[in-house]
Amino acid sequence: MPTTGQLALLILSIALFAIGGTLSVARTWWDKAIVRLVAKHCVYWGLTSAVAVLIWHSSLRARWLPLDDNFDALIWLGILLTLFVLYVQATRPIVGIDFFLMPVVVLLLIAAAVFGRHKPHVYVVRTWDWVHRASAYGGAVAFAVAGAVGAMYLITNARLRRKNGKPGILFGSLERLEHLTRISVTLGFALLTIGLITGMIIFLQRDPESRLGAHWFLNPTVLLAFCVWVIYALVLHAPINPTFRGRKAAMLSILGFVLMIATIVAVQYMPAGGGH
Amino acid sequence: MHRLVLLGLNHSTAPLAVREKLAFNAAQQREALAAFQEKFPGSEAVLLSTCNRVELYAVTVTNNSPTADEVLTFLATLRGVDPEQFREHLYRKADRLAVGHLFNVASSLDSMVLGESQILGQVREAYDVAREMNTAGALLNPLFQRAIAVGKQVMTETSIGSGKLSVASVAVDYAKRIFDHFDDKTVLNIGAGEMATLVLRNFADLKLGKLLLCNRDPAKAMKLAEEFGGEAASFDRLDEHLIAADIVVTSTGASEPIITRSRFEKLLRPRRYKPIFIIDIALPRDVEASIEKLENVYLYNLDHLQQVVSTTQSQRKEAVDAARKIVGDHVHDFIAWHRQRQLGPLIDALYRRYHGLAQEELNRTLNKLPNIGEAEKAHLEELTRRIVNKLLHDPIRLLKHSDPQHGPPAQYMHAMEKLFGLEEGGDNS
Repeated sequence: MPTTGQLALLILSIALFAIGGTLSVARTWWDKAIVRLVAKHCVYWGLTSAVAVLIWHSSLRARWLPLDDNFDALIWLGILLTLFVLYVQATRPIVGIDFFLMPVVVLLLIAAAVFGRHKPHVYVVRTWDWVHRASAYGGAVAFAVAGAVGAMYLITNARLRRKNGKPGILFGSLERLEHLTRISVTLGFALLTIGLITGMIIFLQRDPESRLGAHWFLNPTVLLAFCVWVIYALVLHAPINPTFRGRKAAMLSILGFVLMIATIVAVQYMPAGGGH
Repeated sequence: MHRLVLLGLNHSTAPLAVREKLAFNAAQQREALAAFQEKFPGSEAVLLSTCNRVELYAVTVTNNSPTADEVLTFLATLRGVDPEQFREHLYRKADRLAVGHLFNVASSLDSMVLGESQILGQVREAYDVAREMNTAGALLNPLFQRAIAVGKQVMTETSIGSGKLSVASVAVDYAKRIFDHFDDKTVLNIGAGEMATLVLRNFADLKLGKLLLCNRDPAKAMKLAEEFGGEAASFDRLDEHLIAADIVVTSTGASEPIITRSRFEKLLRPRRYKPIFIIDIALPRDVEASIEKLENVYLYNLDHLQQVVSTTQSQRKEAVDAARKIVGDHVHDFIAWHRQRQLGPLIDALYRRYHGLAQEELNRTLNKLPNIGEAEKAHLEELTRRIVNKLLHDPIRLLKHSDPQHGPPAQYMHAMEKLFGLEEGGDNS
């Protein structure tokens, strides 16, 4: 359970990310050097605050393994997404990727503040638990990127088709966005597959007498995760069946991300161990 | 009496679908001028047909013929279309307004892309065709020569031509929004239009994977291939090239679309639905418009590209103002010169007639004064000359400065001829 101080620091981090994100969007109409500088500093200090919360939280628990509880895991997701955005913008910038991913970061940190105060589930007791958690959350990060880039693809595609001479903010070429979607989905799909398999193993280990019957499969978390898996399998299907490329792949990526979020939320409300 | 009449439509009054129905290629322009001369003998005409406009400048000779309606019917009949399809898209201008319009056109002030220099060449070509066909005469010859000079002056003395986006650069910009890199892309060029060459020149800077140059005439394809370092491609194997292509630039002179939806739909699967950027800069269009509804097909025609280009125009207000001033001055000068040229013989006739009458009356009086000396005779001659000059001063001044807002010079001249009896043979009375 996070302390009040940790929560306060987390809220500061959320505020900084929110201000930084808002200023980034504001630059579309009001592109001043000072706005850019403040936005950048907000994101850097937001990231520093989030990392500080993680360190503080781990030092109090005296456990340094990441993804140990909801609070810890959701902050990790936010940090990973922020690092991804900063990496992309530093190497081969895609204008606007922060518009889409920073709100997700803010939502993840808010979720950490809300769900992190719940009584934790039975946490990492075995290696499988940790692998399951790491792969599931890693997959979620990849799918968040795929969803955001998918949205950018759809907007760029719509603008190109509208042909009204007002390009708006340029999000990078369709080819690049599609490529990024495919990489994110491939990585996310691999991690999600590992997450599903380890989840199954954990389920069997916890209750060796049980079988993987309908009651297991109809578990909302498992069902949602499976739906996500199928959707991303379709997206990855594009090289074989090219009708799934482009706009369709982008829409499926967004749908998959929404379902992935639903899965994460569902896990929070499942009885202990149900989602693992 | 000569009167300049302009009838036309352009990018701002008519969509591409309408313009392409009335467009004339070089050969059709010659045919049209020959037909015009035959139908309206003695009149003058220059036909300007570009991607963005179709305009006929005509000079009426007698009875205000041809009228604007007659010109419309003539053009529509020539293209085999109903004149009513165009009526709402047409503009009609006469005399000073027509002169101003032509000077604006030649200076690219009426272009969708302000400051583009291509239009000046097109005006010159239209004039050359008219000269070749002997349809440019006493009015259209000096008018078009002046228009070309004005266009040149605007281009050289203002910055209207600098800092602008061109259709070609916009095409490349849009290609960059679709594709990330071009070293693995195939660009297919169909036809050999001037604009297509400009687009290809811009694409060449992107280090293309492959450039295919396809033309019905293999010699032309070969020539372009040599110029751009691409491969000449057979027009008969167009489908194969379309399967391979990522970007298509098309600018043939075909009267019907060469890439129809039904044709392209069959190619989607073999293309594996990969995105394709089609730049159709032909007029009439080479690509059926409904193709753009297909998945991963991005079709841009001239209007689409020029619309983007036109958004940059507001940024060059200063240069545009300077250009407008040049055009305005030249319009004023040309009208004054032309009026002078038209009025000259009339004023001359007026003076001759009234000085003749005065001389007749003076002689009659002198005959009644036999003892008058040479000095007195000279005084009387000077007196009658001054009286005639003073009497004619006001009407001539009025004529020279006739206000076109209240009536074209032709009307003033007609009135003068009636009032002062200057009609044919009038000055002999």
